[in-house]
Amino acid sequence: MDPQARIMVVCGKGGVGKTTLSLAFGLKHASEGKRVVIVSSAPLDELAISVSLEGLGRRCPVAARNLFVVHLDPRELLTEVVKKHFPVPLLARTILNSSLFANLIAIAPGLKEFYFLARLQQLAERRRTAAGADGPDYDYLIWDAPASGHFLSTLRAARAFETFLSGPLAAAGAELDRFFSNSANMQILAVTPLEEMAIAETIEMTQALQGDFGLQCTALILNLVSPLFSASEQEMTRLKTASEESAAFRFALARGRSERARGAEVAAAIPAPQVTIPRIRHWDGDLDLLDQIGQWLTLPEHRAGEKPQPA
Amino acid sequence: MKIICYLGTGGVGKTSVAAATALAVARTGKRSMVMTTDPSLRLRTALGLTDNITEQRVPLDDPKAGELWASLLNVRATLDEAVRLYAKNSTSDRILNHSIYATIAGSLAGMQELMAVERIDQLIQQGFDHIVIDTAPSRHALEILDKPELFANISGSRRVQLVGRTYQLAAGLGLTAIGRGAVDIVGRVESILGVHLVRQILDFYSLFYPIAEGYSKRAQKTVAMLRDPAVTEFRVVTTPQKALRDAAFFTDALNKRKFRIGAFCVNRAWLHPYPDTVPRGLAGEVLDWYKTVSDAHRKEIWKLKQGYAGQAREVQVFSELDQDVDGVRALEKLADQMHLQAPAGLA
Repeated sequence: MDPQARIMVVCGKGGVGKTTLSLAFGLKHASEGKRVVIVSSAPLDELAISVSLEGLGRRCPVAARNLFVVHLDPRELLTEVVKKHFPVPLLARTILNSSLFANLIAIAPGLKEFYFLARLQQLAERRRTAAGADGPDYDYLIWDAPASGHFLSTLRAARAFETFLSGPLAAAGAELDRFFSNSANMQILAVTPLEEMAIAETIEMTQALQGDFGLQCTALILNLVSPLFSASEQEMTRLKTASEESAAFRFALARGRSERARGAEVAAAIPAPQVTIPRIRHWDGDLDLLDQIGQWLTLPEHRAGEKPQPA
Repeated sequence: MKIICYLGTGGVGKTSVAAATALAVARTGKRSMVMTTDPSLRLRTALGLTDNITEQRVPLDDPKAGELWASLLNVRATLDEAVRLYAKNSTSDRILNHSIYATIAGSLAGMQELMAVERIDQLIQQGFDHIVIDTAPSRHALEILDKPELFANISGSRRVQLVGRTYQLAAGLGLTAIGRGAVDIVGRVESILGVHLVRQILDFYSLFYPIAEGYSKRAQKTVAMLRDPAVTEFRVVTTPQKALRDAAFFTDALNKRKFRIGAFCVNRAWLHPYPDTVPRGLAGEVLDWYKTVSDAHRKEIWKLKQGYAGQAREVQVFSELDQDVDGVRALEKLADQMHLQAPAGLA
């Protein structure tokens, strides 16, 4: 893990386990006393759908103290901007309460994404500038990204602003675009199970990241993998001839074969180190699940392509 | 006429369940339509939906079967059509070519659902017995039911339209009494967002508002039908691992809107029978792995049935299919499970 990499971006198709993996990684390091911030653009009650941190305070107070899950709400950010622009409270309130303002904001292309990125960059910068002085605000900044389509359009928002507009926002858009297109700032962790749809979408996503933003996939996290994925060819042949006739075995064997084929496909398309997370055998509670995944989740060294850009 | 609306988070197999439901219904001799938003390539191929074909009759082997149709929801195309339908010729071109237009189809929250409502209206008129809808995996899926006028709300009020029309005039001639406050606000928002963008948006609003209004009026009829429990049933698709949390979230979301959940459909469950004696070596390891995952699945499904018994008419459980079962064959296998478990839902 390169401490210089600003943001760990956990991305992939919807429902592949991005939030679970983000939390598992965060929890692992938070329990070692590292400060971890997980940023999401989804409201927290939606995050709770995937996994729950209930009982963390009792079970691991160190982790509870050091793990921060933050929802960056673009509307709040816009409110801040208006207040900063119009320091007179009455004036700011008039604008914020007007339906005209609400309507303009709702329809302005990419505005919400733009402010999300701006805030994320602020957070990332805070870590860097504070490092020399009193120590960093946190050790890891993780972006639990939205599903790949929305993730890419969020990244594109900054560029769209640069071309859409003139004036100060265009300049800000250009700066954001530079920041988020810099592989030294973005550590891309693509998550996928070895299933047709998810693999296809992941390959498409990494190609877009490479082509449009010059961002390379740092690691490919293969989630929910079967034990047959890493079996040798001889072992697979032996299993095929094994006189095992249960439906469960046939299913597991077919699944293993298919995962191996998908694995070969994704390895050929995405030349990144792989991390394999087995399909969990049982889960008594979400914290057990996260602990177990955290143990498997050891990421390869980040190869920073270039130096971080000065602010 | 019956509408079945499937809800669920990403990656649970909602599209397959929806398509299999339409197939199961067609097998009972009815004329059914599945409307999907984002099918996988092989499901698309199975249903005969390619980029150029957005609506297709799927051939069925069984001579006693009714008709199975599949339709792909194309948000942009549906919106284009609506613009052509509701706008005068001269304005429709200006809207379709407007720089803001391209971005709203994809970026406006709820647009997908509104376009789905428009399509449902068309399909009802085409005389389908059963319409099965596969919603987009988002929380917006239900928002449209709250207020069909939402679209007109988000795409502009009369006041915005007025400001858009009078803005340049007012700015040039000095302010009128009507426009003063609004123009003042526009000026201030301009200082944040930039003049160019704000003017473009205002210009677009003034063109687009009449369309949004006509559209919303029409949507209200369809939404009333979606709200009618005699016509529409909501089903939640989930997986064993997500079952309890999804149940909590969707029960809450639907109860708030005074809807009842027709069924929880636990998809991709590992319930294949396994032998009493486990062999040694890798084969044994594989079976052991399968068994522990499968036991966990059974446990979660049991918890769902215990905890949410009163919340839904039924809990359906569908086994995950082998990865090499493909296309229409995969849908058939899923539909078989439906005939066995939930024949009532196909009536």
